[in-house]
Amino acid sequence: MKLNKMKGNNMKDKILASLKRLNIEEYIINITKYQSAQMFFIKKSLDTKRAENTVSYNVNVYRKFEKNGKEMKGNSSVHIYIGMNDNEIDEALKRAYLAASFVCNPAYDLMECKKNDFITIESDLMNYSLEDCCEKASAALFSEDNRNDVFINSAEIFAYETKEEIITSTGIDSGYTKRYISGEFVAQCKAPQDVETYKDFRYNTLDTDALKDKVKKTLEYTLDRAMAKEAPKAGKYRVIISDSYVSNIFDYYTSRAGVGYIYAKYSDYEIGQNIQALDDEGETAEIKGDKISLKLVPTEPISGEGVWQNTLDFMDEGVLKTYHGGVRFSRYLGVEPTGFLNKVEVAAGSMSVEDMKKKPYLWVVNFSDFQMDDFTGHFGGEIRLAFLYDGEKVTPVTGGSINGSILDCQTNMYFSKEMQREANFEGPYAMCFEDVTVAGV
Amino acid sequence: MKVKESEYLKIKKPILKKLLEKLLAKYEYASILANDSKSVNYRVNKSGTNISEDSTLSERGFVVKIYDNGKAAEYSFSAIEDDTVDAVYFEIVKSVENLGNTLPDGTDAYKYTAIDEEELYINESTEYASDPEEKGDNNIIDLLTRISEKGRAYDKRIIDCSVAFNYQKYSKMFLSKKKDLTQNVMWSCGYIVTMAKEGEEIQNGYKPVSMLGGIEVLDTLEEKLEDACNTALDLLKAAPITPGEYDCICEPDVTGMIVHEAFGHGVEMDMFVKDRAQAKEFIGKQVASELITMHDGASTIPQVATFFFDDEGVPAHDTIIIDKGILKTGICDDQSAKHLGVKPTGNGRRQDMTRKAYTRMTNTIFEAGTSKVEDMIASIKDGFLLCQASSGMEDPKNWGIQLMVDIAREIKDGKLTGKIYSPIVMTGYVPDLLKSISMISDSIEAGGTGYCGKGYKEWVKVSDGGPYIKARIRLG
Repeated sequence: MKLNKMKGNNMKDKILASLKRLNIEEYIINITKYQSAQMFFIKKSLDTKRAENTVSYNVNVYRKFEKNGKEMKGNSSVHIYIGMNDNEIDEALKRAYLAASFVCNPAYDLMECKKNDFITIESDLMNYSLEDCCEKASAALFSEDNRNDVFINSAEIFAYETKEEIITSTGIDSGYTKRYISGEFVAQCKAPQDVETYKDFRYNTLDTDALKDKVKKTLEYTLDRAMAKEAPKAGKYRVIISDSYVSNIFDYYTSRAGVGYIYAKYSDYEIGQNIQALDDEGETAEIKGDKISLKLVPTEPISGEGVWQNTLDFMDEGVLKTYHGGVRFSRYLGVEPTGFLNKVEVAAGSMSVEDMKKKPYLWVVNFSDFQMDDFTGHFGGEIRLAFLYDGEKVTPVTGGSINGSILDCQTNMYFSKEMQREANFEGPYAMCFEDVTVAGV
Repeated sequence: MKVKESEYLKIKKPILKKLLEKLLAKYEYASILANDSKSVNYRVNKSGTNISEDSTLSERGFVVKIYDNGKAAEYSFSAIEDDTVDAVYFEIVKSVENLGNTLPDGTDAYKYTAIDEEELYINESTEYASDPEEKGDNNIIDLLTRISEKGRAYDKRIIDCSVAFNYQKYSKMFLSKKKDLTQNVMWSCGYIVTMAKEGEEIQNGYKPVSMLGGIEVLDTLEEKLEDACNTALDLLKAAPITPGEYDCICEPDVTGMIVHEAFGHGVEMDMFVKDRAQAKEFIGKQVASELITMHDGASTIPQVATFFFDDEGVPAHDTIIIDKGILKTGICDDQSAKHLGVKPTGNGRRQDMTRKAYTRMTNTIFEAGTSKVEDMIASIKDGFLLCQASSGMEDPKNWGIQLMVDIAREIKDGKLTGKIYSPIVMTGYVPDLLKSISMISDSIEAGGTGYCGKGYKEWVKVSDGGPYIKARIRLG
């Protein structure tokens, strides 16, 4: 990371002057500037190109008051737009400040200022214009589209730069600039049956090799799906999932250890508790499979509330090491705010993918949509493509759905030694569960 | 009362016309869409109270669309003043020239032809009874707090009761060579989410209200509280269902999810352009029971996706998609219509001014039939009443169904037994399900507290619904 002081601007000064005029003592101002280059392809043609150059100003005002002898602090947020004059800004902030007096939340302290920096998150994307980044990602995506039997049906490619500035009444005036490329594509195979596969991507670097690999694998799976005719028979299966679906499973643990869930008592997780071993009655069971070791990693240096964000050891061999989340609920719980850490890193497991495939399995490589319910622990989705190994032969299958519960599976699940790397997840490429219900034919 | 026109857009109109004039001097087509929108979220639950402007739905912004020698391009920006028209113009020209000069090997740029439009003037507003801004934040929060506290006191297993209200009031202006359009719209929504906990399991009950209008939407919210509490508590007793194919009755919100997710996405005609929708091959063919007539349109019913023109300046329609079981047509945005050589249907919608327009649904419904709900339940020997739609995923290519509902209430010998099963995944082939519909109730209900994505992004406000339907459905 390197320093890159964001230039001051007229609207920021106007907002600060208005807050002073109105005697609003506590506030957070978030200024976000977006620039992007976007390309939309249909088959082999660029259908539309877009550019964006926008800015948003969001002001959160806080108000202290007493209610029934208790100290309260309400807040309310409002958008300020370029071109508003002083009177219009005053009126918008006054209304928000009045609204804050109806928000009866127990008092807490905003994030104190520990340091001030403007940081440019280093990336090779900074070496090119956004237009060049978009064109290079497009070239990588289409470089694998050179087969007759399976092809890219359509693609959307975006190159973004965001500049975020956080100014608070506690003295924070910091920010960062970051770039990323993202997008989605659909692969299609017309014979023996017409099928397609949707994939999205996001990279914080110009990782054209990763994108090429994703396109190549997606084209291959789409070809396999075109061969798949039957849904698996209904019953219990040893299920393997891979790719992005693996990361969804860990959302269960990270969500339930968020300070918002803990404060509301949606979750009873305690630091030091083996949360992977909890059964549906809240009792501890023996973990026979792989134990989860997980880190939470920031993708931005500072949160919108002004929390400087660092990598957290979140779970160690199934044991919860820390809660995580924003300022208000952290203050209520008496823990240090961690900010919002968007990237999950999970340690590799004990089995290779080949080991997982030595016994009969249903390996689902593509769902229409995979969902993990943070509250109930249920996970599942409709099967777009899976490989069914019955102990003798591997058959591609499509249709039906899986319906599992993490509470039933978590003590007997295995992670692959092979890893995957995306912008918001680094961890095992695949994982395996025993006795998962499949609704098939 | 009618929603008032934005003073901000009135001031910007002559400035935008200057920009348009310059763009039309250089390009064969140019249009400008401007938006002045305010949306506020109110929520009360055990964790506290929230009043905040919605960061996605609140905006002032502009998007320019041009065709440059047939090639489509857009530019989104936040501000323009009388003295910055030239600067914005040059930014637009630069962005058009700088991007897409180096295309991937084997690709080219598509050139649109027949870029023409008809003269059109619109200046319309929707109506409301009570403006949330005039009602006052304190009164709104007082009502939500009362309902939330009552919900939390209902049963010791209810660990939270979140009660929310949100509205969006927007003015949009569309200017092109032949069009001068203004619309002013307000919709409002509210909901109750109760959470019940036993052991490590948490279940929720969800009851929404929505309408085209203002704070009056909350008039009926409190009466839904008991039902929301009982649903969450019932779900704690739910058992997993034995997978299989069953006779089912779908409540109107589940019907709405079938209409929207299972079929509606499949007739979005930008998917026809990409050859991604099986429906393209079924125009004029039977795709559903002859009891089924399906509509989509911003003018179909007054709901949260009602407007007078879409984000490409096309007037609102009421499109009959399925007429007595026969697929008649899809719905189409303007650019896809140019591709396909058909008329657009007023379905070109953007998430916000920084996003492209796609073909999107608006208010999507099945028409009512003639059956009574009690007769429909009585007709089932061994099946389920499906309630509380939770989520769904489209599959236009293969018409595969993936819909999640929270509750299946058991029906034996024509009577509800009180047993419930959860969670439920509905799967199967869309036309099989629609052709199996054998009874339809005599009135419809529609609502739209959620948002619809195109794949996993591009969220827009939609409503959906219909009558109770009886169908044969595979459940897991």
